[in-house]
Amino acid sequence: MMISIGGGSSSSAGASSSSGVRVKGRGKPGVAAAGAGAGAVRTKWRSGTQEKIYGRRLLDALRATGAGGGGAPPQPRAVKAAADSALALTARGQSRWSRAILLAGAASSRRRVLVKAGGKIRRHRRPQARAAAAAAKAAAAAAAGETPMLKERKVKERLRVLGRLVPGCRKLPAPVLLEETADYVAALEMQVKAMRALADALAAAQLSSSPQQAEAAGDESQMER
Amino acid sequence: MSSRRSRSRQSGSSRITDEQISDLVSKLQDLLPEARLRSNDRMPSSRVLQETCDYIRNLHREVDDLSERLSELLATSDMSSAQAAIIRSLLM
Repeated sequence: MMISIGGGSSSSAGASSSSGVRVKGRGKPGVAAAGAGAGAVRTKWRSGTQEKIYGRRLLDALRATGAGGGGAPPQPRAVKAAADSALALTARGQSRWSRAILLAGAASSRRRVLVKAGGKIRRHRRPQARAAAAAAKAAAAAAAGETPMLKERKVKERLRVLGRLVPGCRKLPAPVLLEETADYVAALEMQVKAMRALADALAAAQLSSSPQQAEAAGDESQMER
Repeated sequence: MSSRRSRSRQSGSSRITDEQISDLVSKLQDLLPEARLRSNDRMPSSRVLQETCDYIRNLHREVDDLSERLSELLATSDMSSAQAAIIRSLLM
């Protein structure tokens, strides 16, 4: 799989992730649009063109997993990995989450064993410590009544959870994280829509012994959305 | 690299105001399906973030389910019909 990371202007953005606060000065198009709003992000991902591009990439990725009657059928995990890397490619590596997915995909085949062992241990320990501390804080503050400081803590905690959900966004300052989230949510919606369309179309193609049956199944999937 | 990160975090908390954050969060709210249904003017930031986390988890789960479904479908069909299927679905 060929990986080309970043367009022209954002190619330098991959170098230092720590200067997220001062990104505005760099003229990175994504961040400048963050003020302009989530609407632009949503429009970009909802346009038919993105979905078409994604569909083709998805097919390529699925073919690469060896699907198609000849070899063994692809595992659901492999399908998901194909879908995610196709999504990241469609994003053209212009966002942090897409770059994180591409890098993870490239590295995982080599380092899978190590990552699994290390990652699992850490994942079990940390959330417990954090959750306990957060619960203690919440209990103490609840007695005192909700203050602006409690609200801020809640927000910070939720931001941290959010950072764990979006790939490659664990330690980002809030504005950058929120911008990545907006893009990621819109991309995920498109991914779901495209995968569902493909699954419905495949199912319809299999059912159809006659053209009318295929059309009927196709109409049903249209009505869902 | 870690020192740079901690410095940006310190200066970050003074430069990024709460107002900025709640402004961005309200824009995030527009992306949530619930916001469209309720036409709610303001949800508290923590609530929006909570909803966003739940929404992302839901979407992840949908992708997993669809991956299962596609895995089963691909086991019983061949790639050429999958290509025809996608072209049809994209043009529809």
